[in-house]
Parts: sequence; C-alpha cells; structure tokens
Amino acid sequence: MTSGQSPAPLDKLLETLQERAKELNCLYRVHELLDRPEASLDEVCRGLVETLPAGWRYPASCWARVTLEGVVYEPPGLSESPWVQRATVVVQGEEVGIIEVGYVTQMPRADEGPFLKEERKLIDTIAERLAHFLMQRRLQNTLQNWRSSRDGRGGETRPEWWVIVDFLRNTDHHLLMRLSRRMVNHLCWNGVEEAQQLLQRFAQSQRGDDSDHWEDNRPLQKRSLDSLMAATEDAFRIAAANLSRDEIVGCIQRWIKDDKSGFLIETVENQGSSLSQIADSIERFHQMALGDRDLSRTMQLALRASLIRRFFTDDLEFVHRAKRYVEVDDFYPLMQRVISPPGSHGKLGGKSSGLFLAWQIVRKSPEYSAALGEIKVPRTFYLTSDTLLDFIEFNNLEDVYDRKYLELDQIRREYPHIVQVFKNSTFSPQIVKSLSLALDEFDTRPLIVRSSSLLEDRVGSAFSGKYKSLFLANQGNKRERLAALMDAIAEVYASVFSPDPLEYRAERGLLDVHEEMGVMIQEVVGTRVGQYYLPAFAGVAFSNNEFRWSARIRREDGLIRLVPGLGTRAVDRLSDDYPVLLAPGKPGLRANVTADEIVRYSPRKVDVINLDRQTFETVPIAQLLRECGDEYPIPEQVFSVFDGERVRRAMGLELDPSAGNLVTTFEGLAADTSFMARIRALLKTLQEKLGYAVDLEFACDGKDFYLLQCRPQSFGTDDAPAQIPTDLPAERVLFSVNRYVSNGRVPDVTHIVYVDPDRYAALPDLERLREVGRVVGKLNKLLPKRQFVLMGPGRWGSRGDIKLGVNVTYSDINNAALLMEVAARRGSYVPEVSFGTHFFQDLVEAGIRYLPVFPGERDVVFNDAFLRSAPSVLTELVGEHAHLSDVVRVIDVAAVSPGLVLRVLMNGESDQAVGYFAPPQGDSRGPGRRRGAEFAPEDHWRWRLRMAEQMAAQLEPERFGVRAVYVFGSTKNATAGPGSDIDLLVHVAPGPPERRQLLDTWLAGWSLCLAEMNFLRTGQRTEGLLDIHYITDDDVRRRTSYASKIGAITDAARPLPLRGHAPDAVP
Amino acid sequence: MSAKQFNSFEMAQQQFDRVADLLGLDQPTRELLRVPLREYQFSIPVRMDDGTVRVFRGFRVQHNDARGPSKGGIRFHPLETVDTVRALAMWMTWKCAVVDIPLGGGKGGVVCDPHNLSQREQESICRGWVRQMARNVGPVTDVPAPDVMTTPQHMVWMVDEFETIHGGRYPGFITGKPVGLGGSLGRTEATGYGVVYTIREALKELNVSPGSTSASVQGFGNVAQYAVRLYRQIGGTVVCVSSWDQADQTSYTFRKASGVDPDELVGITDHFGGIDKQKARDLGYEVLPGEAWIAQDVDILIPAALENQVRGDNVGKVSSHVKIVAEGANGPTTPEADKALQARGIFVIPDFLANAGGVTCSYFEQVQSNMNYFWEKDEVLSKLDTKMTSAFAAVSELARRQKLFSRDAAYVISISRVAKACRERGWV
Repeated sequence: MTSGQSPAPLDKLLETLQERAKELNCLYRVHELLDRPEASLDEVCRGLVETLPAGWRYPASCWARVTLEGVVYEPPGLSESPWVQRATVVVQGEEVGIIEVGYVTQMPRADEGPFLKEERKLIDTIAERLAHFLMQRRLQNTLQNWRSSRDGRGGETRPEWWVIVDFLRNTDHHLLMRLSRRMVNHLCWNGVEEAQQLLQRFAQSQRGDDSDHWEDNRPLQKRSLDSLMAATEDAFRIAAANLSRDEIVGCIQRWIKDDKSGFLIETVENQGSSLSQIADSIERFHQMALGDRDLSRTMQLALRASLIRRFFTDDLEFVHRAKRYVEVDDFYPLMQRVISPPGSHGKLGGKSSGLFLAWQIVRKSPEYSAALGEIKVPRTFYLTSDTLLDFIEFNNLEDVYDRKYLELDQIRREYPHIVQVFKNSTFSPQIVKSLSLALDEFDTRPLIVRSSSLLEDRVGSAFSGKYKSLFLANQGNKRERLAALMDAIAEVYASVFSPDPLEYRAERGLLDVHEEMGVMIQEVVGTRVGQYYLPAFAGVAFSNNEFRWSARIRREDGLIRLVPGLGTRAVDRLSDDYPVLLAPGKPGLRANVTADEIVRYSPRKVDVINLDRQTFETVPIAQLLRECGDEYPIPEQVFSVFDGERVRRAMGLELDPSAGNLVTTFEGLAADTSFMARIRALLKTLQEKLGYAVDLEFACDGKDFYLLQCRPQSFGTDDAPAQIPTDLPAERVLFSVNRYVSNGRVPDVTHIVYVDPDRYAALPDLERLREVGRVVGKLNKLLPKRQFVLMGPGRWGSRGDIKLGVNVTYSDINNAALLMEVAARRGSYVPEVSFGTHFFQDLVEAGIRYLPVFPGERDVVFNDAFLRSAPSVLTELVGEHAHLSDVVRVIDVAAVSPGLVLRVLMNGESDQAVGYFAPPQGDSRGPGRRRGAEFAPEDHWRWRLRMAEQMAAQLEPERFGVRAVYVFGSTKNATAGPGSDIDLLVHVAPGPPERRQLLDTWLAGWSLCLAEMNFLRTGQRTEGLLDIHYITDDDVRRRTSYASKIGAITDAARPLPLRGHAPDAVP
Repeated sequence: MSAKQFNSFEMAQQQFDRVADLLGLDQPTRELLRVPLREYQFSIPVRMDDGTVRVFRGFRVQHNDARGPSKGGIRFHPLETVDTVRALAMWMTWKCAVVDIPLGGGKGGVVCDPHNLSQREQESICRGWVRQMARNVGPVTDVPAPDVMTTPQHMVWMVDEFETIHGGRYPGFITGKPVGLGGSLGRTEATGYGVVYTIREALKELNVSPGSTSASVQGFGNVAQYAVRLYRQIGGTVVCVSSWDQADQTSYTFRKASGVDPDELVGITDHFGGIDKQKARDLGYEVLPGEAWIAQDVDILIPAALENQVRGDNVGKVSSHVKIVAEGANGPTTPEADKALQARGIFVIPDFLANAGGVTCSYFEQVQSNMNYFWEKDEVLSKLDTKMTSAFAAVSELARRQKLFSRDAAYVISISRVAKACRERGWV
C-alpha cells in the first residue's frame, strides 16, 4: 500500500528510472575504457576517475579514486571526506587495488550511507571488470616477455600457447589443474591412447598403491602437488602432439570462461540458494558481459538445465527439451518480472513454463521465421509458487492446509467463507511493494490474473482449468488498482482450496501432494472499443484436429477455434453460441458452406472487459457493433456482409457496422492475411521442437499477434483416445471401423436405433421416408439421454434428396450419444458420408460423437445381421409407427444380452473404433464439457434410488391422490451420473385440482432439497432433481404416454412402496 | 427392391400421368412430356488445392423448351442422381407454365459436396461446368439459376466463364446474380408478395374485403416477412407468426390479437427468423407452442416455413373460420391433409402457384439482362402483380368451370399450355 499513498508516485518512478539510466551509462563508458587494447594502464585509471562520478546519484559532489599496486589516481585537490564507498580489485586471489567513490559533502541517507544499493552493485561490478582487465594485461605481458625471450634464445620447441600454462602455473595453479584435467578428458574422448594411459596415471595416483582396497570406505589419499603438476605438464604435452593450435587455444579460452561463470552454476546448483541469490548471480553474469554462447557446450547445458529446474519444473522431459532453446541470457529479462517473497525457493508453475518455453522456441527457430512473422507475448509478471505460502503464513491462515481432508460436502459449504477470508487478508509488505511496481509498469491496461499451478506438470493440463483466472479492468487510481489486483490474487489463491480441484486430486491420489500455485499477471491483449476493451480476435489452436468435417482434412491439419473478443469463448464449448472453426492445414475448407449454415453457426456474442463498469461481460456482437462498431479493429478481417442470400467479404465502402448486416466469419483474416499460414507454422514449429501435439491460445489486438499460452494438447476424460482392446471375442463385436475416427468413448449404450439402409432405400414414397425422420425424433425424446446410438444410411439430416439420409434436424437427434453413418456400397460406388455436416457444429459443442462405417471394406466389421435380427421394441415405444418396424429397429441391448451394454471406444490416433457388448461400467456421464465428480459410479444411482424410496415412503397416497410411484431412467438403470435427474412416474387418481396442486408443491419441495444435497455431493447445480411425469388411469389403461414404461419391455419402470403400502406393482 | 423404391422421377411421372388422363392427352404428347427432351452428363476435371486432379460428374436436363428457353437451377449435391434432376426439371416446366412465363423447364447439378471444397475449387467446378455446356446453354436456349448449395457467387463465376468463351457480355445467360451485376431489384420481396397477390385475388372471388380478414402465418423468414407486410398493406390483420428457436430447438407461435407488427418483430429477430421470446413478451406478444399457428380462428393460413406442416394428424385443428390456405412454402400440405381441406371446401392456393413469385422475378431478371436495361423496384413488383393476378385468375376459373381441386387445376393448366406449344410447333 505504501507506494499507493506516496504523494507523487510518478515523480518517484521517474527519478528511479533516471538513476538506472545514469548507472547504465556509466557502466557502458567503463566498458569502453577497458575495451581499448592500445590504452595504457595509466590512461585507463585516469579515465575511471573521470567517468565514475557521473554514475552516482549526486555527480556534482562526487569524486572517485583508483589505487593500483600502490599508485593512486585521484582528481587534483581532493580532500578526504567520511562518505566513501569502496570495492577491492582482486586478481587471481590477490588484492591488487581499490576503487573508492565518495561525496565531498553530506548527502541524504540512502541504503548504504548516502549510497543506493544499486550503486553498491555498480562499484562491485566495475571492480570486477577492472580485475578482469588487469588479468588479461598480465597475460599479454607474459606472452610478450616469453616471445621476446624465445626470439632471443633463437627457437624453442614449445608452442606459443604454452605461455598460458606457464602463466597459470605461477598465478593460479588450481585453475591450471582443472584445465589439464579437462584436457585429458578431451583427449581421451578424441581417442588419444597416450591420454588414456595418463588418465590411468591420474587414477592410480589418486588410489595410491593399495589399489586392491580402492572400494573401501576410507577417504582417498591426497596426492602430492608435484606429481599432479607433472601430470598437468604431460597433459598439455600430449595435447600439443595431437591437437591443432587453434583447437587447444579455443578449448582453453572456453574453459577459462566456464571457470569464471562457476559462481553462477554454484549458486544455481546449491539447493540452499534462494531465487533472489540466483537473480543476483544472473545479474552478475549479465554485467560481466558473459554470454551463454561463450561457454562450452557442456557448461552451457548444465547451467541451462539447472536454471530451468529452479525456475520451472523438475520434470525431466521438460528440462530435456527446454535446455535446447532456453539460454542463460533469457533468464535475465525474466528475473526482472519475477515477484517472490524473500528467501524464496518457489517456481513459476506450469502455465508460465509452457509459455516461456514456447516463446523461446518461436524466437529461436530461424528456419520458420518467415512463416511465423513477428509473434509477441504480452507483458507478464510472475508470482512464485511460494508467494502463496508467504501469504498464508503472513495472515496466519495455516489452518487452511487441513481443509482438503474434509468431506467434500463440507469443503463445498466452507469454500465461500475461505474465499472471503482470503480476500480480507493482506500480502506481506515486500510483495505489496513488488505488485505496486508491477502496476506502475502495466499502467491502466486491463490485466488477467491466471493460476499457474505446479500440479499441472504432474497431471497434465486437464487440471489447469480447475483453478481460477480473473480479469481485471485495472482502471481508477493507483490505490484502487492495487487493491483490486491483490483481491484478485487472493481469490485465485483461494481456488487452490475449492472443492472441484480438491475432488479431482482426491480421485487421483494427489491430495497429499503439497500444492503450490504460481500466478501470472498478464496484460490483456486488446484495444478500446467504446466502453469495452477486447482483442479483435482470439482463439485456440490444436495440433491435432479431433473434429474433422471433411474426409479431406487429416488429423494433423490441426484445428482453430476462433472468436471475436476475448478468447474465453473459444476455450470452452459453448451451449448457446459457436466459434468459427478452421483447419490450418486445409485453409480452403470450411465447416459451413451455404449462407444458411454460415450465419447459423457464426458467433453471436463477444466477451469483453467493460472499462466503465470495470466488469467482465458478454455482449451480443450486434449490440457492440451498434454502439461502437466504427472503432472495432480490423473489421474487414473479422466480419463479412450478409445481404440476405450471400455472405461475402466486404469490398470498398460496404463494411458499415451500423447497417446491422455483418456476420462474424473471419473470411478476411483467413483469405487476405498470412494468419492461417502463421498458425500452421506455429503449430508445426512447436510440435516439432517440443515433441508433442500442442494446444495454443492466441489473440490479436488488430496490430500485433500474441501467443498467450502453450501446453500439450490433452484431453478431458471425454475426448482422450480410448484404448482399443485387441482380445475381444468376435461374437461380442458389433462393429469395428478404421477410417475418420476421432477420439472418445461412449461407455454405456443401452439402446441402438438402426435405420436399415436397404429397407429405407426401398420405401415406396416420400411420405414414408419423411415418417422415418419423425420416428427418430420421437425416439430421441423417449430413449435415455446420451445412452443411445443412431445408425442409419448415408447422410443424417440431408437437406437435399431425402433418400440420401434420414431427414432430421438437430432437435431430432440431440439426445443421442453417437451418430453413425452407414455408407453401404451400392453397385460400383460408395456413397459419401456427411461427417454430420448439417449440424456439425452442434455436435461439436454438445460433444455428440460421430462415426462413419464403410461395411465391406478391409478389416471393417459391421454385424448388420445382428441389427436386422435382434428383437426390436419399436412397436412398444411408438406403436403408431408399427408399419415401419422393419425399417427402423430399436434394440434394447439389455433385453437382447442380459446384463450387457454396448460400449463404443474410439481412438483417433490409431484411427480405430470398436463397438462391443460388455458389462456396464456405470459411467454414463454425457460427453459434455462439464465434468463433475467421479465417485464410484454406483454411488450416484444408489443414492438417487435410496432418496426416491425415502420420498415415496413419506408420500401419503390418500392425502395426495396418488395410486403409485415408479422410478425409471438412469436411476433405475444404475447409470445415473452426478448431474442426472431422477425420473419418476406418478400415477394419480382423478380428483380436485387443489389436491394435485398440493402434490405439486410437496414434490417440488423434495426436488429442491435433493438438488441441494446433490450439489453438495457433486458440485453439479440443477434447478431441481426430480423429473416428474404424471399419468392417469386412462393412460395406464391405454398404455399411452409414459404409462408405456410400466411393465415395458425396455427400460421398465420400477414401483416404489408408498407410505403404509406395499408396492402396487400392477395397478 | 428397385421396383418398389421411392424414385422422385417416377413420382413426377405418375403425377403427370394422372393429369394427362384428366386432359385426355394423346400418346405421342404423353411420351414427349413424360421424359426430358435432352439430357447432358459430363465430366469436369478440376485441379485441387493440393495439386491433384479430381473429376466431378455434371448434369443438365432440359425437360421441355417448347414455350421458351429452359429455366432451372444448378445443384451441388454429393449424392446427386440424374433421376432427381429429371424430376426437378419437369417440375420447372410446369411451374413456368402455370404463371404463363415464356420459359421451359430444366435442372442441372454437379455431384460434389461444397463442405469438402475450397472456394477456389468450387470456382473451378463452376467454370468447368460452363466449359462443358457452353454450346448447349445460353440466354436463348437454357438459363441456369442458383439452387441447393449454390449461391449468387457461383452464378457470377459461371456467367463470367460463359462470357469469356463467347466473347461478349451475356448477363441473360443466368439468373440469381447480385444486384448491380445483372441482378434484379424486388427479388427479396417477390415470393412473399406473390403469395399475397394470390390471396388478394382469392378473397376477391370469395367476395370478402381484405380489411375484414385475419391471417396466421407459419414462419418468419424472408417469404413470411414480406407476405405479412403486403397483407397488412391491403388491410388484413396478421394475428400470429411462428418461428424456430435455435436455443430451445423447438418453434414458438407469437400471437398478438391486435395484429402483428413485422417491423417491431424484425427488430428482435436474428438472421434466421428466430424471434427473441422475452423481448416479444415485453412487446405484448403471447408466446405459444409452435403448433398453435394452425389452430387460430383466422380466415387465412399461410404456411411459409417447411414442407409437411399440415398433415393428417393436425388438419383437424384447422379452425372452421379458415377459408384460404396459401402455400408459401414448398409442399407444406400432405396428400392426406389435402383431401381433408378439399372436403371442407377450404380454398388451397397450391404452392407452385402461390410461391411462383420467385421464378417470375427470375424471368424478369433475364428479360432485363437481355435488354441490358434494369427496372426500378416498383416496376418489377407491379409487373409481378400483373403476372400473378392473371395466373391466379386462370387457375381459379378453370377450377370453378371444371369443378377441379385448385391444385389439380393448376397442373391441368400448365400441362395443357406446354402440350399446346408442342402441338403448335408441330412436334406432336
């Protein structure tokens, strides 16, 4: 809060910046001085005395003095003063001089007397540079002396680089020994035999004489220095005989640099060093003008790997990949944006790691740079994972750690309070200060606070969605913005203790893992449009296309889900809107082709940040265009014009946001820009270099293209590639196919609706053909939701010739779990399949699976004999269509094969799918986005059945005029999932309407209570849990409506005992 | 199996046979009209985006051009068959004849699925189609138009190829072009207005003033919207319209006894004619189940959405007030419901008369293109009125005189007109 209250924060910031500039300037000039090979030591020292004061805070009153080997360099007329800062100059372990900077008068107090802590760093750096310079000079002198003496002696057998060996023997024999040992290794690796013998000598001298006992646990004898020195000489002698001069000199140079950066690897490798110590070392490394590329390959990789481990993850695969692309130098800018508590040992978390690595790969892939173009990453600050611990400790919230072991319903009840407690807690002053500085840099650009959990590394990105990400408008004065930012971070922190991730962890045995969470504070890519802030477009891109709409699209052609505005709408499946789908590998093919389709499946809403109201909002696109469409960035790339019959790219003056005829298509983006090629290159580069399929988030503010996230493309439980069993007995397999398969599983199919292709084709008139569509529509409402498969000829939902496929709309099939198109060969040609084109995007958003079958092709199994001969229950379900009973067949799997269901497993990676009969697993959750609890599956239906029984046991039949109550559907079938409702049939006696109203109210009360209990159990919100169907005496007599379920052949309803009554099985 | 299969061309022939019996047509005329005059089947090689070549199958059927150049759409459909194209070509012959425009019937297509094709590949198919057919089509021989999965864009590519081959500008080669590139004004309104012109004429014959009538409309797409507008202009009250709700996957009927205002409804309608339920309630509309439109106590029912909407199972709900059913959509009434309506003496304005405003406007586009002089919208619509009015008069006069059901009368008129042209040319 401190900086929020300071009177003029901007002035302060400016002042700080000026200081940094002065220091940098000073450092550059020192570098210049020391880089002049012709300058004498005298000149250099005098230059330093002149240059240094300009880098300090009060240059006018500042003086500098350099003392080297007794010689003092100082400005004339200098008088001693007590305000002095000193740094010693150490060459090869020996103190050779001192640099002093002082003020002539007393100055205001700062970190070290009147000096800033940055000035301490500055003077130390300069002393180090000077030492380095002196060392080089000494070496040069030695070399020169040696040369002149050689010339004087008239020839010498030793090569000129030997001078380095001599020099080091006298000055730094430790370094020399390290070099010689490396040289021996180097020679051995090059297959030099002599060196191998030398190595044995090294080893023997290490073991001593009693080599028999070398495995003993006693310490090794120390060798005498002389013998080592002799070995050293030998090493270089062998080198001279076997290697070229250039190679030897190159090696020695690199190894000396390695040696110099030893402090960095020491700091990084030392598990005790904190992030800030590492940061200091990196800074020192940077200031020494050492670069990653100057180091030997091994040193380079070792340093990179260590840094990656400390900052990102211990995951070996990640470290292995990342060390090829992440350089030591890359950590320097990163460090500037890391916020951590003092003594931090935290990491940045999965999301941060993924983005950082992807960004380095993109930058370092020159072979793709033409296709990639300029790709940016939004400005990001990182909170290390242990900042969360610091926060908890600072506020004495340690109790929260045990919460995860509570029962889930208790966690769920308590969670809202935890959120409040977190939001009312404060951050430690260091963190507040760092956040405040970060905000100064962000200014008033909107921010997103994203979780970057360490667990993501372990369980994959499926976990990442479980924690919160919050948008911040980041408007108002500094104090308000800082408060809002801290509030958001606290809320993200609280989500570590929210029920959904805890439940997920419990299921996977990860509850005992100590979860820490990093946080990314990222600038939201976008631009102001009216009162809103949004990017021109955003989206996600996948390496593998799991939703192909054409046979020409291959899996590796990738998939883009693209939306206008914030990418939140592209990430999740939507229930009420559609993103635009594109395949980067097949840029010309569109999921929607006719004007009808394009308009129907175009995005209608847009997620934005409302800067005036400071909220995240979803706004209809039409409204946004009406209000401020003229400000929308690159509209010609986002929108097309719809003139009633055509959707086309606007030309010239046509694009008029106020005309109300714009449709979001991204045609301009796809056709007129390099967007598709760029995404394709991005996916290809990252997949190639990371070694796995990726899932990217991106956004564009109208000018620049930003990469927002990169993670392995993974799958929810719904769309993971299913393991296809290989040992299935043939008689259990209904079908097995191997073309155009996407991922997924439909584990518990209870009913198969089969439209026989031959008999359908043989129907004599249009009316009958249409009737088939209506039958399917009725079955769609009667059969258990997401537990039946529709199989039929050719193209479901064909809008042209009805003979090509059953004439249905999406509403006629929207409860199916799987849509199968049977492309039976007719004469010499195989009909094309539709890929569900007519409602493709509806299928995608609802997670309904699609599978084409080509019977008669190689390795394809399609047991149509079973489908034609197994008993059909069509007549029982829709008796009025009995005359179609040989065309439309409804197979109740449980009736045909007692105790079994049809299980469909689909694996897009091997392009294989199989449907076979198996015992139920009870996992009937629809393949929707919402994934809730995965308790032992029997829990859901058992609990429901128990509740239904208890309710019935409380129901007074006379009071409410109820003859009987039955349960059916998923509760009865033991397939209920966490979000299933309880289907009840209530057989009511005729009576006054008031009595029915009473019953309604009574049941509604139960329904609400059960919904609340279910919410506490599973986290799934429903408005009510009971789905009540009333039936009358008349229905029961005529077996109409749901009464057909009583004693039905398929899915028969089960009677429940009422209060004071035995179950009335057959009323 | 094949003998019994549903075959749209056989269906069309059966329908023709029945009317031929009514007309007592002679054998050669029957033989001539039962099958198309000419059929073309050809291959269209196309270089695909990936460099490979694929060969597409193209069709053009010219069923009869005794009354004028063939007219009919080009369909892109993955499982197109020549029988479907034949049936549709025959239907075009009758449709042009019933409104008495000097055009014959044709239809064409390409076996392809645009979902599998890029824009460039589709353009190549269009140009390839024209290259194969350039000698057999043209402003005075056969005039194509958009159809299933083809759009004005496809028409522009085709006319451009045709003009390149023939070395001149021939906008009359094809219709359905965008306005400004040989398209006609008034096309948006044509079908809906045409429906109301026929209703107006039917009311005249029933001696009922439009101002005293009310109507219920199924659908709120283009046809329905313009029908509602013109019907209000002539004084009628639209009590309700229905529309499909994408989110709920069902349709609703929006009722306002004092009269539906299309402008206020359009304001709360998406591009697909889906009306916002809540906003409609705020505007004072009752939101009823989708089927409710059929059961309203109105004088006129206008099914203007989908086929198969008035069926045996719901025709009983049609109110006793209803005097006219005007078929704005194609095939909204099933044969079973047709019989029930006929028995109750309800006047059915059959689809291929009621919604012939569209094809008539296509004809106007061709006329304008040929003279390279384009009319104002008012002129188009007033000419449309004249055409529709006289077409209706002829059908209704015949129905009355010969005591035919209106649908049969319409077929009888159109087939006899075509037969007469063939006879006068000396073909039969």
